Amino acid sequence: MTEAALISETHEIVVDQVFPHAAETIWRALTTGELIARWLMPADGFAPVEGNSFTYKTTAAGNWDGTIHCQVLEVVPNERLVYSWQGGHEANVGYGSRLQTIVTWTLFRVEGGTRVRLVHSGFVLPKNDTAFRNMSDGWKKVVRNLDAVVAEQASSGKPN
Amino acid sequence: MFEAAPINAVMRALADPTRRAVFERVAKSDEITVVELTRGSGVTQGAISQHLKSLKQAGLVAERPAGRNVYYRAEPMGLAPLADWMSHYGAFWRERFANLRTLLEEIDPPTSASNETDSKETDTKET
Repeated sequence: MTEAALISETHEIVVDQVFPHAAETIWRALTTGELIARWLMPADGFAPVEGNSFTYKTTAAGNWDGTIHCQVLEVVPNERLVYSWQGGHEANVGYGSRLQTIVTWTLFRVEGGTRVRLVHSGFVLPKNDTAFRNMSDGWKKVVRNLDAVVAEQASSGKPN
Repeated sequence: MFEAAPINAVMRALADPTRRAVFERVAKSDEITVVELTRGSGVTQGAISQHLKSLKQAGLVAERPAGRNVYYRAEPMGLAPLADWMSHYGAFWRERFANLRTLLEEIDPPTSASNETDSKETDTKET
């Protein structure tokens, strides 16, 4: 059943497209500060080096100034780039709420170009409206996920 | 009209294991009364009522009085405040992919006529 499939431990956003360009060219667009700013948003302090910390500045919300804190976790030139993507504030609702996610870029050479796969993972709850409307056992799983979130918040201290 | 409760209220309401168990039982039923919830729960009806009150304040359950009974049901959008990032980033990344495509065309103009685009929908997946 699709409804069951929509609810899981964590959720991810996947965008997967083929571009008629070489992996090297795409890699450059993904990892050059000046280019990143042109298609994504300015990545302050970015370097494609494991351990590097950088920030994105996005729309502020409530107690959150809109800064996304990232750290490069994995770099395999022309193939794979992984960084953490954290932001938000516990006092916020919806957009701007606490966010602790991972962004993974993977490039696959295919005929005529490169397949680019983005996985933005670590969202803790389902987004699908159908899943919210159809309350079945799904809720149980959703609620279980909250254990992790609550524990996370508890262990990270209360910044209020 | 449903109004999203602050994310903290939702978290706090569900942090208590007993309250979370009550919420799960409510969510699994179409509608349920305090008496039914109390049965076999090992806690008093008064305690169940208190938990329901907290869950209601957090926007997680709704009540429907009918005669002498009050029926409780899960509020469908109760957990929605926690999910909004998903829809935000779903749209965000789709848009950025389009930007990336434009940028790549600019810095690496096509030499031949090949312009394949095999795109899939942005979606959510289990892990």
